[in-house]
Amino acid sequence: MVLSLAGIIVFLVAEILPLFVPGRVVPDARIEARARTEARARIDAIGSMTAVVVDPRRTHVATLREDGTLRVLDWTNGSTVLERELLAGGAALVAPLAGSPGVAGIAADGRAVIAGIDWRVSYPDGIAEVTPAVASVMALEVETRGAAPRALSARLDPGGATLVVALDDGSLSLVQVAVDVNDFTGEREETVSATRISTPAPLDHLALAPEDAEVFASASDGRIFWWEVEDGTPVGMRQARSEAPVTALEPLIGGRALLAGRSDGVVDVWFALSRGRAGRELVHVRRFDGPGGAIGHLAGSPRGRSFLAAGAGGSLGLYHSTAHRELWTGHTGSAISALAWAPKANAAAIASARGLERLRVDAPHPEAGLASYFSRVWYEGHPEPEFIWQSTGGSDEFEPKLSLVPLVTGTLKGTIYAMLLAIPLGVLGALYTSQFMAPSLQRVVKPTVELMASLPSVVLGFLAGLWLAPRLEAVLPGMLLLLPSLPVAVLLAGAAWRALPARWTLRFQGGEILFQAVAISGVVWLCVRASPAIEAALFGGSFATWLHATTGLEYDQRNAIVAGIAMGFAVIPIIFAISEDAVSNVPRSLSAASLALGATPWQTMVRVVLPAASPGIFAAVMIGFGRAIGETMIVLMATGNTPLLDWSPFNGFRTLSANIAVEIPEAPHGGTLYRTLFVSATLLFALTFAINGAAELVRERLRRRFSGA
Amino acid sequence: MSDARPIPEPDADLEKPVIDVDALSLWYGSAQALRSVSLRVPERRVTALIGPSGCGKSTLLRCINRLNDLVDGVRIEGDIRFRGESVFAPERDVNALRRRIGMVFQRSNPFPKSIYENVVYGSRIHGSLRRSDLDGVAERSLRRAGLWDEVKDRLHESALSLSGGQQQRLCIARAVAIEPEVVLLDEPCSALDPIATARIEELMQELKESYTLVVVTHNMQQAARASDYTAFLYLGELIEFGETGQVFVNPKERATEDYISGRFG
Repeated sequence: MVLSLAGIIVFLVAEILPLFVPGRVVPDARIEARARTEARARIDAIGSMTAVVVDPRRTHVATLREDGTLRVLDWTNGSTVLERELLAGGAALVAPLAGSPGVAGIAADGRAVIAGIDWRVSYPDGIAEVTPAVASVMALEVETRGAAPRALSARLDPGGATLVVALDDGSLSLVQVAVDVNDFTGEREETVSATRISTPAPLDHLALAPEDAEVFASASDGRIFWWEVEDGTPVGMRQARSEAPVTALEPLIGGRALLAGRSDGVVDVWFALSRGRAGRELVHVRRFDGPGGAIGHLAGSPRGRSFLAAGAGGSLGLYHSTAHRELWTGHTGSAISALAWAPKANAAAIASARGLERLRVDAPHPEAGLASYFSRVWYEGHPEPEFIWQSTGGSDEFEPKLSLVPLVTGTLKGTIYAMLLAIPLGVLGALYTSQFMAPSLQRVVKPTVELMASLPSVVLGFLAGLWLAPRLEAVLPGMLLLLPSLPVAVLLAGAAWRALPARWTLRFQGGEILFQAVAISGVVWLCVRASPAIEAALFGGSFATWLHATTGLEYDQRNAIVAGIAMGFAVIPIIFAISEDAVSNVPRSLSAASLALGATPWQTMVRVVLPAASPGIFAAVMIGFGRAIGETMIVLMATGNTPLLDWSPFNGFRTLSANIAVEIPEAPHGGTLYRTLFVSATLLFALTFAINGAAELVRERLRRRFSGA
Repeated sequence: MSDARPIPEPDADLEKPVIDVDALSLWYGSAQALRSVSLRVPERRVTALIGPSGCGKSTLLRCINRLNDLVDGVRIEGDIRFRGESVFAPERDVNALRRRIGMVFQRSNPFPKSIYENVVYGSRIHGSLRRSDLDGVAERSLRRAGLWDEVKDRLHESALSLSGGQQQRLCIARAVAIEPEVVLLDEPCSALDPIATARIEELMQELKESYTLVVVTHNMQQAARASDYTAFLYLGELIEFGETGQVFVNPKERATEDYISGRFG
């Protein structure tokens, strides 16, 4: 028993631990730059301006440098496998493309080029071989009017390309190319549109969002700008001021978040929030302390919210924005002049005076961490930090939201609603059955209730979700009316039974409970029948609409009430059976002593039987609680599985256990989600363990108090 | 033995009985436990019920305060009158009856509460809640049960920490705390050692000053020593009833003599 428990704990810890291991960035290949005196060339010395692109298989690296020539090199031997002059006479600025493999460059006179790179993969001997090729080259003309380009960003789109250039006269040029391919003739027709706007200050850095039509820019005074592109023109400028001058600018995947590296070494994360058209705003969200020195280059991961930041003198850091985690920092040895991720985010390339270096990036679970699980996190596109569970989305740009708080809340919510039903019915039912019910009826009731426990929870869940939920919705006002009217009816029926002549009541042993059953069914029937009338009279014909209009609460068909009823149904037999045993095990001599002193059966139960049975009843409630917390199938089928942080009885919820059941099929083995589900399993385990432990302590105290030992 | 058996000679005590058992028969399901028992219990005397196991002594005792109501399938014929009124009358308030007829059980059964709470339990359920009243009840009852000096410093300790004899005296204190008129004792000493038994017997002599006592016992010596009247039951029938001295010294029935002299039972 202890061994298997220890085994489970060891297994859970082994699955969870990798989540909290920070990342590693390890150099694993290098292409040396040729020293000027060296005879045998590998590559030319790399200056301060380079654009670097790595292929998905990490076999090649492409560079575009001052000379305006695109070169693709092989990591294994440093040989140049492709060389193409893109800008005759050299480039003034170069940049890797945002969102796709390729480079862009602009010459001082305004000639610009966008080149996409195609990493063709073939399998000649069953081994993948990458053959780089220049897929498309678009030559453009930017009107400079004699001003020098200061910043460049470009992007290849499925139907064209976008390029933005900031000039030192304070203007911003946006050039868009739309490529139309005639389906019949195969003719390409390029339509170029260019606009030029003036900006409040000369821009140092530009960043196009990888997909959306957004332009981010920064000026030397620390201002950050944001435009939306509409009909080829940047419009709706918003600005914000950074605490220190911005030295590097890079959007994160999705384009809703912007990284701004500062001269004081800090990396800020800004969100481009859109709360409607007028509510667009750049908001400072979080800061990272950076790897050391002014931030020279930033690179956002193509696969998530990780990013690399290069500081002065070759320092490098790996971070994750959502999790607010510093995963790794280190030193590469010489000042970094370019930084690029490999498309699968498992490697990065850096360019420095020493040459090109390939780094293996080993951070399998960057988005995990205690902060992501248990703190409010400010997610992209959200107006404020929140607890959200939304582990997977439709696209690569999706930001996983891994807060376990809604799930823990859902677990407790489901349990509490179930216990609200099960504790009174189970405990009071047990007391009545063992203390007041006629023995002949007792012999029927006890096994019947215990038989309830053998109902498979999938059947209960099915009934609750598909049968009960729509019916409950139809008669909800009546059900709400039942809350006050049922106890009243029970009391009235009890009084009526007593008022009947004794010669009738004595004749039917157990008649009281049948009488009650008739009264209860009658009230339920009345409430159900009255429900449409009540709904029409008080709630304007639709309770759900009324609820939403007056309280703002949504009514879900599968909600906490339905789940509470179904789970309560599963828990009642447990609580009933154990409580009944506890009450029946109170020595008959104690109740006889109390009765012999003239106490009524009720007084005897309250003052003698209940205290003596309380440890057992408490244990029953706790075991029921444990059952409800771990219950999976019913909540899976009856709650709608909405991981909302909400205590409303009219809403669904998602429990830790249902979450594991729902998501484990879509969680790749060993992935972050997979391990996070193990975290939630551990949490569930800890929760039940803590509750059982606390229950045992309380039970022991009760036992000592009421047994007098 | 027939139902026509003559009732023992009435003497002065028996003229005004507190409890008048009148031709009482009782069945547990189909098994008859009492056969037309008639018996008058005199006031402020100790009446002992003796007889072999299963003769119906305890059943008779439990009929007096209607504790047999708790048993499933009991059927009763005949009557018991307490101060002239039938205890089985439908309008009879059983709880009020039991308040006037206290009971002490064969095995001490203190509640798992403190000594104090045990003694004042009856007062509490009958509505007395003033602390000073309860304190007075506790002291008076414990003194009457001869337990006060032993427990006065530990009234709030658990009753289960007392010895067996003390527990039984606590149960007596608990029974007399509500000032009943009759105290039924169902083999009160059968689980006690001789010293504790002597204490209880002594106590019974003191209690009969104030209460009518009916005691079921297996112990002949105890019946002879501690009771004023003795009833001998055998197989559900009352064989003989009379003053203890007469029953033990000069029994009228052969069965009584055989039982007393230890030839059976």
